[in-house]
Amino acid sequence: MNYNPQTGLVGEGVKFERIRRITGYLVGTVDRFNNAKRAEEADRIKHTVSRQNSCTKQ
Amino acid sequence: MINGIVKRDGRVVMYDISKIKMAVLKAMEACGTPDFEKADDVARNVENHFIAMGGNITPTVEEIQDRVEVRLMQSGLDAVAKKYILYRAARNNIRERNTSLMKIFDEITFSDAISSDVKRENANIDGDTPMGTMLKYGSEGAKDYYLKFLLSPDQAQAHREGYIHIHDFDFYALTTTCTQIDIKKLFKDGFSTGHGFLREPNDIQSYSALACIAIQSNQNDQHGGQSIVNFDYGLADGVAKTYRKLYLKNIVKCCEILDCPIDYEQLKAVSGRIREECGRGPALKADEEYLRRELKALTEMTGDEAVAKKAQKYALKKTEGETDAATYQAMEALIHNLNTMHSRAGAQTPFSSINYGMDTSPEGRMVMKNVLLATDAGLGHGETPIFPIQIFRVKDGINYNPGEPNYDLFQLAIKVSAKRLFPNFSFQDAPFNLEYYDPNDVRTEIGYMGCRTRVVANHYDPSNRITYSRGNLSFTSINLPRLAIEAKGDEERFYNSLKKYMELCSKQLLDRFAIQKKKKVRNFPFLMGQGVWLGSDNLGADDEVGEVLKHGTLSIGFIGLAETLTALYGHHHGEGEEYQKKGLEIIGFMRKFVDDMSEKTGLNFTLLATPAEGLSGRFIKMDKKRFGIIPGVTDRDYYTNSFHIPVYYEISAFDKIRLEAPYHAFTNAGHITYVELDGDVSQNLEAFESVVRAMKERGIGYGAINHPVDRDPVCGYNGIIGDVCPRCGRRDGEGVPLEKLQKLGLYKHLNASTLGQCGNPEEEKDRIVNPLY
Ligand SMILES: [Zn+2]
Repeated sequence: MNYNPQTGLVGEGVKFERIRRITGYLVGTVDRFNNAKRAEEADRIKHTVSRQNSCTKQ
Repeated sequence: MINGIVKRDGRVVMYDISKIKMAVLKAMEACGTPDFEKADDVARNVENHFIAMGGNITPTVEEIQDRVEVRLMQSGLDAVAKKYILYRAARNNIRERNTSLMKIFDEITFSDAISSDVKRENANIDGDTPMGTMLKYGSEGAKDYYLKFLLSPDQAQAHREGYIHIHDFDFYALTTTCTQIDIKKLFKDGFSTGHGFLREPNDIQSYSALACIAIQSNQNDQHGGQSIVNFDYGLADGVAKTYRKLYLKNIVKCCEILDCPIDYEQLKAVSGRIREECGRGPALKADEEYLRRELKALTEMTGDEAVAKKAQKYALKKTEGETDAATYQAMEALIHNLNTMHSRAGAQTPFSSINYGMDTSPEGRMVMKNVLLATDAGLGHGETPIFPIQIFRVKDGINYNPGEPNYDLFQLAIKVSAKRLFPNFSFQDAPFNLEYYDPNDVRTEIGYMGCRTRVVANHYDPSNRITYSRGNLSFTSINLPRLAIEAKGDEERFYNSLKKYMELCSKQLLDRFAIQKKKKVRNFPFLMGQGVWLGSDNLGADDEVGEVLKHGTLSIGFIGLAETLTALYGHHHGEGEEYQKKGLEIIGFMRKFVDDMSEKTGLNFTLLATPAEGLSGRFIKMDKKRFGIIPGVTDRDYYTNSFHIPVYYEISAFDKIRLEAPYHAFTNAGHITYVELDGDVSQNLEAFESVVRAMKERGIGYGAINHPVDRDPVCGYNGIIGDVCPRCGRRDGEGVPLEKLQKLGLYKHLNASTLGQCGNPEEEKDRIVNPLY
């Protein structure tokens, strides 16, 4: 694809793939989600996993 | 003079007085009083009216029609005027409907999927391909037809105005949603796809290939996703067959090396006879009785007991590893196939799911281990597989605790999920799943469709409370936040309107069912024709499917509980126990409603925590228009998924799980809880596992953990990528010097054929298989 012999560079224009799960399914690029789903993905904040709250392992 | 007429779509056409005359005449005919002269008089009067305005004018169609109405009234032609107005309104109506459909077609034709929500409605269809576009025309045209002809006016209005959403509406009159396919049963004695008969498969490769074909074939008969309910038990048979075959081949090979050649076919016949006599054969778990009998037969065949013993020993030593490798390859192929195969006019990869986790046989375990390892390795260039959605069944006594037979697989599932997002986890011990579980009947093990659908109870036929061979028929969701906003804080008003819309949905689901049940077996050549659906194997091609469809579920769903609570009480259920209590009351009310409907109808009405596919933006867009921006309710671009705590709300994983778990018990048509973890969770499996365990302990039915999974196609790095790739140092879209990549050991063999988009093919070959186990 894009080895450029002039510059000696590989990968110009190639985007990173970012796999995300939205409404159950994985999609390789966020572009194909509709606007609402993209907005939802962007709003997500991470959940903390603090030890004292854990109700399982002692 | 009149230059021309402006039509509704803005085009200018030639002015023609006879068109006015004809329209008036038609109205007169409708009254039974056609009068050509009077019609001519009206038309001339209208024309003169515009000419009198002076200059060159171009009136609109609307202006002309307004003038015709005035003139008709002036002339005392009241009855004709009435007809003319009605006729005009009807024409407008049709035209308007046509235009909205045509406008949609226009958008489908000329805009990119990037800018068009219509085209991106389903993330899994590539809306830019010719087949994808063709599907879109069909789907939009069909929806238009159903709205106008099949729905009752109140249903059409509720759907159009966004009080309810009828899912898979483009398939309204065509088929049902999904099935948990029992492949063990399907493969027995082979099956037909409609394009030819496939014999019962006889090794793990063909089991894997046929599993994909089964998913693909059934997808063509239904509008939802497809799931294999018994991936472990089903494919275990394939492993057993491969083992037997390879074992006998190894015996033959060893005998040959030891200069006592024997014939494979003969050995196969001998081995088969022993299996018939004592019910035992070559297997991963070696059977003493079989080996004893086989040794005797082998000694006779070779005439040398020492050779026979050596051959057995050799085969026992070799075959397990070879079977394992063959199984890995078969699983690799399955994942590859499910990510590339197409159905539905070639435009969509089937939505596939596989359930597994509780088969403790060595063969079933080998299937699971290898499907997990193949998932871990990824596709050809290390990409994360999108399909199938994998669901690992967690069960006390089987895989949850150290020392249990499949504990190692549970651990492996955690490792793989922390890297690849799959498998998800389903929990057999959640009370509402355990209730139906019978350890002596695998068909009662819980199964989920990837996105969340779940079927197990059976009001229609209590003797078939099973997951296998059943699924959802159709579902319709309610816009809960809308009802809450309209209630203006009045709880009673909210519940009244909730009841009203649940009644409307039930009626609509029953109307849809009335259409579905009239279909014949031959309308679903695979689903019904091959006995995939429960009870269908007893039907003939021309039988109606109505009766057996009753095993399926009719589901009412909801989205936006969080916004609903905020609209009614000022806060959502993450913000205080009193709001959680209110939330549970609402969802409890809905559950009771569907239970009562089941009681009344004898059918399976269930409550769904709607995944909001295609719906998350639709409702809120309409509600913003209606009510403006209401903080915490309509101030985002989406309503929150079902009963979830909003994704933007700060909360610990464990609190989220604790708060969402009770809703799982209510939503018997399906549910899922997500937890978002930060950073590279594959480096913190302990945290990952603690979340899965918390889900299990709290009574979650089905859950998954989200975390960032990125990949740089240039250097092949897999993990988290911020702004800069940690391996090759490039930014998004930037090029990297070739020498730099080569220093990293990549692109070593750079030439025209190896310079690909996906890292170094040579390096891929060097990948170590089974890196985790
Ligand atoms: Zn890189």
